[in-house]
Amino acid sequence: MKQNSTTILVPVIPEKVQDLLDQLVEIKRNSQEGISKEFDSLSIIHYARWVVIDHGKSWIDDEQKRNPKLLFVIDYDGEEGEMLHKVSENSSTILDLVYVFCENYPPLNTVTTASRKAYLESHVIKDAAVYIGAPGRSVLQIRKEKKLRDFIRDFVDSRTWEDVSPETVHKKIKDQVLSNPEFAYLKGERVRMPRINYFGVVLLGVCLLALLPFILVLVLIVHFFYERKDENFTKKRSQLDDEFLTDLEKYEDFKNQNQFTQLVDMKEGTIRLIAIKFMFLLSNFLIKFIFTQGKLMGIPTIHFAKWVMFEKNSRVLFFSNFDGSWQQYLGDFIDNSGWGLTGIFSNTKVFPKTNFLITGGAYKEEYFLAWSRNSELVTNFWYTAYPDLSIKNVNNNTRIRVQLMKTLSKRRAAKFLKLL
Amino acid sequence: MTRLELENIQGYLIRGYAHMLYSRFVYLQISDAKAAKKWLSQSWKEMTSARHIHDKSKIPPTHLNIAFTHAGLGKLGLNEENLGAFSREFRQGMVSDHRTRLLGDFGTSRPEVWNWGGPRNETIHLCLMVFGNDKSSNDDLEKDKIVCLDYYNELAAKFDENGFIELFHIDGKTQPDNKEHFGFRDGVSQPIIEGSGRVGDKDDVIKAGEFLFGYKNEFGVYPDTPLIVKEQGDLNLLTPDAGGSGQKDIGKDGTFMVMRQLDQDVNKFWGYLNEKTKNPDGSINEAESLKLGAKFMGRWQSGAPVTLFPDADPGPFSDVNDFGYAKFDKDGLKCPFGSHLRRTNPRDNVDDHGKKESLKLSKQHRIIRRARLYGEIYEGSPTKTTPNGDVGLLFICFNADISRQFEFLQYTWANLPKNKELYNDPDPIIGVKETPELGEEQNFTIQDEPVSKTIKDLPRVITVKGGAYFFFPSINVLRYLSTI
Repeated sequence: MKQNSTTILVPVIPEKVQDLLDQLVEIKRNSQEGISKEFDSLSIIHYARWVVIDHGKSWIDDEQKRNPKLLFVIDYDGEEGEMLHKVSENSSTILDLVYVFCENYPPLNTVTTASRKAYLESHVIKDAAVYIGAPGRSVLQIRKEKKLRDFIRDFVDSRTWEDVSPETVHKKIKDQVLSNPEFAYLKGERVRMPRINYFGVVLLGVCLLALLPFILVLVLIVHFFYERKDENFTKKRSQLDDEFLTDLEKYEDFKNQNQFTQLVDMKEGTIRLIAIKFMFLLSNFLIKFIFTQGKLMGIPTIHFAKWVMFEKNSRVLFFSNFDGSWQQYLGDFIDNSGWGLTGIFSNTKVFPKTNFLITGGAYKEEYFLAWSRNSELVTNFWYTAYPDLSIKNVNNNTRIRVQLMKTLSKRRAAKFLKLL
Repeated sequence: MTRLELENIQGYLIRGYAHMLYSRFVYLQISDAKAAKKWLSQSWKEMTSARHIHDKSKIPPTHLNIAFTHAGLGKLGLNEENLGAFSREFRQGMVSDHRTRLLGDFGTSRPEVWNWGGPRNETIHLCLMVFGNDKSSNDDLEKDKIVCLDYYNELAAKFDENGFIELFHIDGKTQPDNKEHFGFRDGVSQPIIEGSGRVGDKDDVIKAGEFLFGYKNEFGVYPDTPLIVKEQGDLNLLTPDAGGSGQKDIGKDGTFMVMRQLDQDVNKFWGYLNEKTKNPDGSINEAESLKLGAKFMGRWQSGAPVTLFPDADPGPFSDVNDFGYAKFDKDGLKCPFGSHLRRTNPRDNVDDHGKKESLKLSKQHRIIRRARLYGEIYEGSPTKTTPNGDVGLLFICFNADISRQFEFLQYTWANLPKNKELYNDPDPIIGVKETPELGEEQNFTIQDEPVSKTIKDLPRVITVKGGAYFFFPSINVLRYLSTI
């Protein structure tokens, strides 16, 4: 089943923004350590979050007067319409609690599933690029495969296997699993791990080569006419606002997973727009062709991430759901993905100094870490369907399942056993 | 290559003072800032520097170093603006709601019940580190103790006059073979700071900026050093910011020091290992228990790495440190992925990165460790499990970026059970929760053929008894601090 992501942006009634924030705090208070469980029963939502933006707490020197808005971000299985219907029907209580503070939400005495859905649908905004760490895996499949792995692990630990050949171990595991009616589905459903699309990679390479003269011209224009005039971010982490960081930390590091929401403004000029659109286009191709196996530009800890441009391409949002601590990990990504992060974010205002679009920037570690934290937003509500699994676990569980159902040679059986 | 100004760096960062078997860590409050500064204006000269002394006989019998907490710098008179220039971790100290989650300080390790450094304890301003060595004897703890305590008494006699109140002290001991209470040789692998004049394996040579302010770090940038924001004191004593801001640098040649008192439950540690490896008749299988212990640790009790000596301890003591995991043990068949050693310094095998990339990542998370033992000197083993009274480790480490180094190691690599491809495996020595959540497993996986084994229900074998973050200034900066 295909995973999709939807972003919904609605205006908040300006005088109700504090009520909304209080409501979200209240929902959070009733959650389990910062992770709300409201969407568990739907079994199609991987991640969801509500974020209030433009309510006066901007840390990126945003001078423009803006009206408060509420972001709703959902990563889910299947089609958008169907998902919105389910959410509108089964999670109506929480929707009403939240959206009652938003402009033009149907009055609570007349609101229906259909009108809730229509309301949400009419405020959907487009995603610029979406990354999925385990493409094709539905919430149900992830849960089922976790059970399978746990079952296999328990069986393997129930006896010793000294001097038993790998093929025999594999076969015994398979017999044990298939004799359990809970896993009968394995015989029917066939799944496989997403592959790297080498044809696509080559095609992309050829296209990039063909475009190279244009790309070079673009980069040179950016360098000589834009980057030199840039206002750069030159704060270090020690100089960030303490109170704001405390707000962010309040909801971090309870479980093995965390969330990250970021909002930045685009730099002015068509060239910048072309540059970032090009980077998103490139990202989308790379995500489709190469980053299909749980790593985004070498980053092995992201479940779902995406970029969104809104308000006539003048602003950029970034969302991520990931394993571990963003602050601690971020430095580790610079080496592999610094060029990509720089290529995108160098087109947004007050980024660490870049050169030729993709150098400098993220590679200026101290400023980059500070910038990342400084442009982060408090995520007011966060849902994760499987906080006890890392994205590596999710992918590994599918690999176990796929290999389990095959007939394996000795070498491949030995390899299968390493996955357990 | 950068050359460090060793005369300006306090010695404990560069050298472990391993020959000084006895030490006393004295935790003080400043009662009279003026008197304390007067004392500092003279005694900065007394602080042991990192200057190399070729002629061993010329090494003095006592060493002294000093470190301040954030509150201590404030009490001394550093003004608000300048205090605010330090990193957030240091400013907040080891105890905050968020940091407690990161470090995993819950249950009997929660800061509310700490002996020191917690919210219910008296505020610590500074720590004096006093070391002694009887030059006439060789590796004699009792004699070193006399030298150390004589020196301490000399200093302590003037605490009152110098504006200090002693809150408490912890006596730190070192075994000649550096074994800790579980019985394992500790501190074998240490980073070498580039430019320190020390030599060693190139994979252990780390850019100075990882451990010292004012130098470039492994990312090629200058660490987040505290800079003077509002003028005070004799600024001529400070050097300008190497980062080029034009401000004076109070961090230059200094670093941060992390201290944590970790009680070790020797009985629980070996009791658990004995139980998991016992013979069918219930008796202790000493060899298997030792082996499982070595798998947990990543080294045998002698210090020999299980990566190179997978079957048995070559004993009696080993400094072997020249090995990589990618090369000798890619599948974890010798040293399990979850072992304390492998996860806290994965060397050339981080996740599934290549060797070069892994080494680079490992180098971004190194710390310099300076642990000392407290309590009875005791070498635990399968048959020796019950020391007299409390024993443990006064864990000390140095790093310029507490968040990316010490806290990263404790949280991301030790506490998180998802290291490598693992599912439910926290660091078996320092990462286990005392009370797991409902349904949460805490295991240790031993990679093996044909299939790995799970050792279940790990117990927490350490209890945090106290801790704090300190600023470990350069000698020039100590002099500067006497002028504020």
